[in-house]
Amino acid sequence: MDNSIYLFAAFSITWSIIFIYIFRLFRSQKALDYQIYEIKKTLQRNIELDDSHS
Amino acid sequence: MLLALYTIFIYAPVEKTMGVIQKIFYIHVPSAFLAYLAFFITFIASIFYLYRKDSKWDTVAHCAVETGVIFCTIVLVTGPIWAKPVWNVWWTWDPRLTTTLILWFTYIAYLMLRRAVKENQRANLSAVFGIIGFINVPITFFSIRLWRTIHPVIITSRGLNMSGPMKFSLIITFIAFCFLFFSLLLSRIRLERLKMRFAEINEIMDEMNFKK
Repeated sequence: MDNSIYLFAAFSITWSIIFIYIFRLFRSQKALDYQIYEIKKTLQRNIELDDSHS
Repeated sequence: MLLALYTIFIYAPVEKTMGVIQKIFYIHVPSAFLAYLAFFITFIASIFYLYRKDSKWDTVAHCAVETGVIFCTIVLVTGPIWAKPVWNVWWTWDPRLTTTLILWFTYIAYLMLRRAVKENQRANLSAVFGIIGFINVPITFFSIRLWRTIHPVIITSRGLNMSGPMKFSLIITFIAFCFLFFSLLLSRIRLERLKMRFAEINEIMDEMNFKK
């Protein structure tokens, strides 16, 4: 009885679940990096505005 | 992980009655134990949160549930794939299978609850849910001893019920899965803490009327 197809399915689905989760974590990290970059830009703009007023 | 794959596919012998399909066992069993471990971490972190009211314990509990659900999903997917050629059915309402499915739904409900409730109630309600929900874990673990079941019993009073090379392969796979589990859990906790810090910075910026 050759059940290799079931074995292949089980391993590929397991690794797919793990990789999808890792990819989701990676995407969240990227989104956060972008938001930090936006904050940095906002802060810099505000500092420059303050400097020009004073 | 490569060593684990080597032991699963090359070192471990092919089981006589089930054949090559039995190798699913090496990912099915460690995933189940790590799901239990994740829910145990949630249980402990929830108690600590209610005791100390420190948000870091709430973060640990939440992240452990998420990681646990991933591993519980692996158990629920690999189980039926293994059952089909061996039991000739994808699913049967066996005590172990049913309790595992209930366990999965319980922690999916935990994650849904966190999204549904307001922020000021979220941590408290989640902690209570994390403690009560853990009742399912020992029920699931002991279900094969408490009720009549067709699910095989691996851990007996005499230890692991299998041959030497199989035992060795299981231990190696278990260690590899532990590394994977803790790296996923720690990455998730770090990400959640970063999100919280970022939200705090945003609040401060709003209070200071920064022009965005």
